[in-house]
Formats: sequence, C-alpha cells, structure tokens
Amino acid sequence: MIGTRVQAASGLMIFALVAACSDKGGDPSKQYGPNPDLPEAHQYLVPPMSVPQAVGWKTGETPTVPAGMRIQAMATGLMHPRIVYPLPNGDILVVEANGPGTKPFRPKDYISGKVKARAGASDKGGNRITLLRDADGDGVPEMKTVLVDHLHSPYGVAWVADTLYVANTDAIVAFPFTPGQTEITVPGTKLADLPAGPINHHWTKSMVASPDGSKLYVGVGSNSNITENGIDIEEGRAAIYEVDRLTGAKRLYATGTRNPTNLAIQPGTGQLFAVVNERDEIGPDLVPDYLTSIKDGGFYGWPYSYWGQHEDVRVHPQDPAMVAKAIKPDYGLSSHVAALGVVFSQGETLSPEFANGAFVGEHGSWNRDPLNGYQVIFVPFANERPSGMPIPVLTDFLAPDKKTVHGRPVGVALDRTGALVVADDVGNAVWRVSRSVDGK
Amino acid sequence: MARPIGRSRTHALLHPFFVGLGGALLMAALFTDYMYTSNSLSQWANFSVWLITGGLVLALVATIFLVIDVALGRAGPIRWLDFGLIGVAAFLSLVNVFVHTRDAWTSVVPTGITLSTIVTILLLAAGLRGWCVTAIKSVGRGESQ
Repeated sequence: MIGTRVQAASGLMIFALVAACSDKGGDPSKQYGPNPDLPEAHQYLVPPMSVPQAVGWKTGETPTVPAGMRIQAMATGLMHPRIVYPLPNGDILVVEANGPGTKPFRPKDYISGKVKARAGASDKGGNRITLLRDADGDGVPEMKTVLVDHLHSPYGVAWVADTLYVANTDAIVAFPFTPGQTEITVPGTKLADLPAGPINHHWTKSMVASPDGSKLYVGVGSNSNITENGIDIEEGRAAIYEVDRLTGAKRLYATGTRNPTNLAIQPGTGQLFAVVNERDEIGPDLVPDYLTSIKDGGFYGWPYSYWGQHEDVRVHPQDPAMVAKAIKPDYGLSSHVAALGVVFSQGETLSPEFANGAFVGEHGSWNRDPLNGYQVIFVPFANERPSGMPIPVLTDFLAPDKKTVHGRPVGVALDRTGALVVADDVGNAVWRVSRSVDGK
Repeated sequence: MARPIGRSRTHALLHPFFVGLGGALLMAALFTDYMYTSNSLSQWANFSVWLITGGLVLALVATIFLVIDVALGRAGPIRWLDFGLIGVAAFLSLVNVFVHTRDAWTSVVPTGITLSTIVTILLLAAGLRGWCVTAIKSVGRGESQ
C-alpha cells in the first residue's frame, strides 16, 4: 500500500475502482435470524459481483442431500421451471416461465443483460404448465404432459374449488380444472389485472390461497432495484395484494416488500408468510433477504428504508414518516441469496429435525462475491416464528470452484407423501427429495 | 523553394470536430444532472448517463482521428495545455459514467454532478481555445508535397 501515498487524485480513483471490485462478503451466518449484522452501506463505481457460468447437470449428476435422504430427478429437459404445485391427487404441476423481457433503458441494462445470459437467467421460458403424474409415488412419473400452454410469463398457481388460478405477469387467469385432468383446452377467464406496465422489472407474480379459499394473496415485485426507473411507476408495486377469489376485487394487503417472490400459509395459524428479496448494490452484505410473517396493512420499508429504519440514501425525496412506519422482518436469510421458494414442512416426513419450519429455495444471485444462496435450506420455527440457524437441505448447485453453476433452485413444495419437490430453472429439472428407504 | 500561390492553405485537422462534439455532450450532462437534482425525475438522470456515454464514445473516435491527423502529417506539435484539459475531462468522465450507473439519487448527487461540473469547466476552457490538441501544421512549405 506504499504506492497509494504518492498517487495523484486520478490514481486514487482507479484504486477505488479496483477496491470496489474486490469488496468481499463476510460470513452469511451473521445475517440469519431476527437481528442480522448490518454493515455500513457503500456505493461503488462497479458493484462487487461474481457471475458463475450456467452449465446444467450431466446425466446422473444431482444436488447433494443430507444422509438419510435420497434425491431423484422427477423431470428434466423442461423450459425454465419456476414453480412446482402438487395437487391432492398426487399430480404435480410445473410452471415453466421466464420474464416477458424488457427494453434497455440505460447503458447499464446492456451489461446486466450479458450477466444474466451467462448465469442462465435469460433462457426462454415455456410459458406453460406441465403436469407430472406419479401415481405410485415412487418419484418416477409415469406421465409428463403439457397441461396448459401459451400463458404470459406465469408464476404463481393455486387450485381452489375446481378452478386453477394462474398468476400471469399481467393478470390472474382462472381455468376450470378438476384434478385428474391432463389437458386444459378452454381459454381462461381473467379474474383480476396485475401491475405489469410498460416497465416490468420484477415480473414474477407469486400467489397462494387463503386457508378458507376465499382470497388469493399475490406478491408483486418492485419496478426497479431502488426507484431508479422513477417513483411514479412504483405505484402498486413492491406489495402483496389480497384478491377476492369470486369477484376479483383486490386491495393492497401489505406494502414495502421489495420483491415478495413467494408466499406460504403457516399450517395451524393460517398466518401468511413471504420470502422477500431486498435491494442490491450497496454492499455484499446488504441487504439481507428475509422470511417474514405479513401483517395486514403492514409496510416493510421499500424503498425508503431496509430492515426497519435503515434509510436508503439513494431514494429521493425521502419520507421520514414512512421510514418510521417500516416493520422489521422476522428472519434474515443473509444477503443476495435470492430466496424464491417457501413452503412449510408437514411434520417429520423427511426427518425429525424438519418437523416444524419452512423450506426456502435460494436461487442465488451474482450481486455478491463470494456467491451466497444456490441451495435449499430449512428454517426451523419455534413459537410459530422462525428461530435458530437454518439447515442446508439441497446443496452443490454450484460447482466446488464456484465458477460454474449446474442449477438454481426456485419454487419448493411438499408432495402428498411429504417428499420435497424443487424446481430448478437452470438445470431445467424438477428434483424430489424423500426419506431414503434401506439406504437407497 | 517558394510556395506556389493557391497552395498556401493548410489541411484542416480532423480531430477537433469530434472533440467538440463529444465535449458538447459531456457539458450537456451538467444541465441534465442539474435538472435531475431539481425535480428528481429519473429520466433526467437517464439522459445524463446516455450523454456521458456518447461523450466517451466520441472521445474514442476523437483519439482515433488524432492518430490519423498525426499519421497524415497534418498535426503539428502537441499543445500540452489543451491536451491536459481534454485528457483530464475524458478521464473524469470515465469515472463519472460509472458513478452515473448507480441507481437513483446517488447516481447524480453529490459525486456525479460535481464531476460533471469540473468536466464542464475544463471543456469550456478547451473549447474556447479551439478544441485542438495539436498545433496545425501548414503544408506546402516543406517536404510534404
């Protein structure tokens, strides 16, 4: 560092540029739980990142699961599978989709397009739902067929009262559907519009039905990282809606949730939970993504602040009243894990340690070095709230050198046998994790 | 050897046009930065980053034409003051374009608009001096014809 003392101002700037690129993330375990360690926010010339190259899985390769469990590929060769949704009869719906694509706004958008393509995030989505039928429950489907095609960037699905609700990126569409059916040919009817707009930055619309089936909760992501596309187009974004299932009337249920990528209802309490992806580009350890219970009318900070009252200096004009209102989330998942899937466990179907808690699919992101996420974890619960350190369930999506990535987990679900089903949108596979029988 | 009448003209340098064009874009970014600070409308910040990007592309083009000017023997000796003003402005603009890739308010305030202001002052000086990095060499006086 002797050299830097004699650097001219220009030299220091180059030094700052290089230093920015090598700002390494710390130990993610310091950011799990209700009080994550939050370092000071930094602004960079080039934000730290690390982009693994997507390579997919070779035949026979799988993610790693803990001892006592086995993993099978239920389906391969899919088109960007995002969500898995088991039906009561055992059939599993697989939503294959990617974003509708956006036009570049700034020079930066061309660069991020290249980054996305390298990481396998730009592959064409199927815009369809595939049905997997595994009638004998051995994890090997006897049937794989397209249930419904030509959807518009679908993501969330919910089956209530012989109707399949599909959250396309711009609307909830309802199809008459009885489990057992293997094809939907009638056109869907629109239940409610969803914000999609000319800009549709976070395109996924996550969805879950209320316990009584009368409401659908829909997660809508923000239209930017941190309002850089203008505050006016954030109207109705970064929010969770409550949609009446029969009339389609909708209201904002919670706001300030930057990207509520998935929702789940806690068994027993009926409480709505969400996994939310937080903002980027203020450091490798900011801001932790989170798992939280969602309060009716609650405001969770975006864009004004994060993790309660930590103001974001990039937002102008600021709103101190909103900052003061911001609710601290229940549980930090550490930064840039990109949690995209969440499902509650149903007793000891996989292992006694997974009796009470939630599985979270961490897609992983490139906004951090070293990479974080790229795994499915189990978050234990106590007193109906997440509590304690998470347990890795599916790992080794990344190659050991972290330069290449085989797959990236998205949606997670439990099938009727209690096995964990995971969508993998880079491996283009659906994985099933079950308790191993006789060491198999 | 006497200069024939009618050949006493000089060949115009090629690079000043591109320096001036790029300089105009970089200076315009100060205006759009100012607009963004006054109304927080993100489109002004988008204008800024495109203007600076365009200015840098033209800086590259200008550099190529400077090399051509030298290669064609049109350029006289380097005018170091102008070279310095323009060179520093280009370097600061390179830093500035990275600052402007940040998201929202801090892409402009405070660092971005500060750099845009410094760049504009440097370029005003260079522009009033004629956007020339080198002296103009007159032809026909020597061995070139």
